[in-house]
Amino acid sequence: MPYYSLGIEGSANKLGVGVIEHPQEKLAAYNHARVLSNVRDTYVTPPGEGFLPRDTARHHRNWVVRLIRKALDESQIPPEKLDCICFTQGPGMGAPLQSVVIAARTVAQMWRLPLVGVNHCIGHIEMGREITGATNPVVLYVSGGNTQVIAYSRQRYRIFGETLDIAVGNCLDRFARTLRIPNDPSPGYNIEQLAKKGQHFVELPYTVKGMDLSMSGILEYVDGLANDLFNGKKNKQLVKPDGSKITVEDLCFSLQECIFAMLVEITERAMAHVGSKEVLIVGGVGCNERLQEMMGVMARDRNGNIYATDERFCIDNGIMIAHAGLLAYRTGKRTTLEESVCTQRFRTDEVFVSWRDD
Amino acid sequence: MTKDTNELLPSAQFEGPVSKSFAIDPSSSHSTHGRTNGPSDYVLAAGAVDRDAPTEAGDSQIGRLRAYVTTLQDEVNEFLTARMKGGQEKDVQDEYEDEDEDAEEEE
Repeated sequence: MPYYSLGIEGSANKLGVGVIEHPQEKLAAYNHARVLSNVRDTYVTPPGEGFLPRDTARHHRNWVVRLIRKALDESQIPPEKLDCICFTQGPGMGAPLQSVVIAARTVAQMWRLPLVGVNHCIGHIEMGREITGATNPVVLYVSGGNTQVIAYSRQRYRIFGETLDIAVGNCLDRFARTLRIPNDPSPGYNIEQLAKKGQHFVELPYTVKGMDLSMSGILEYVDGLANDLFNGKKNKQLVKPDGSKITVEDLCFSLQECIFAMLVEITERAMAHVGSKEVLIVGGVGCNERLQEMMGVMARDRNGNIYATDERFCIDNGIMIAHAGLLAYRTGKRTTLEESVCTQRFRTDEVFVSWRDD
Repeated sequence: MTKDTNELLPSAQFEGPVSKSFAIDPSSSHSTHGRTNGPSDYVLAAGAVDRDAPTEAGDSQIGRLRAYVTTLQDEVNEFLTARMKGGQEKDVQDEYEDEDEDAEEEE
């Protein structure tokens, strides 16, 4: 009999529900998990606005039953065939996380199923490994709330480098707000499209600090340039060598080039340190084609490979929670009701990776 | 709405300087569209279009419970908001600050 689990994700503005099937034997290159359903709904705000915890939690509360129904219908797995209910326990925004936990506790009690709390970052890593077939990669985890370079060692995903302040996705999203460009489908996607039309590189602060990086100062700097551009203020950096003006597209291009170069640098250093030739990019910003391209150039220089997934698995989703939760469930993990409290701070290296013994 | 004898009726209890009980009268009308569960004024002022409204409550035990909980939550929210506005509840942050001050004094 295969194993089945239902996963619910809602740590930020995406609410996702997925159902996964694991074959009875241990997962391997010839024995893959099967995605039976993976549905998502995103809370979208007007241009220039971020998502507030209260309204994001309301979105999740009011959509979660509809999404669970849809995921079960698509998977054609009735609740009685499920082995467990998996949910994102953290890290993330408190109020949206709370909505998801309550939904998970409710269905677990209704259907008399065990709960498994999942670390959101571990969900991304395990789903990325499963989809791409990367066995032991250095992982670059880049999203709206997280920026980490991670490598596996002795049953922990160890953090080699991370942001000292804001996450890369947060930097891009907040710049999108300054530019007042739409949040649909995502601010990062719209920045990426504008950046493709950019031609001139404007030099921005480059702030790698050892294995860590900092992006708040870069955001402040590029925000200042954008405001000068909109207000017609004189600024030498906003004039190209031929005398024409720098455009919004040029600023998007420059911001992407600068912060992605920083990410490539710390990833390369981590690969050299652990002797890995594989790099796996996960998280919402991992969909960015320019980041994948820059990382690919570096990986090929090292005779290595880059692994990335498409938006179904890069952007927050329920199936990754179902997958990582089921891996833990199969090695005996259960989360009691008393332990099912969600937490905004939950570091990747706090999780004991019981399902890997390499 | 038809109700059976096993109707799920939520209740709430506030304990503090004052005590208050909240209960549901199933004979009144209830819906999932409450007075305090809409989008925040801030996002509405920013031009948000509400596509996340709750669905109507179904006429089942669980469906009716959704409507009862919405009514109960409204009453709790309004009670707590009135207390906050009246200055009868200290902000949680204030309490932490008080604790910090006490700790400093002890040092």
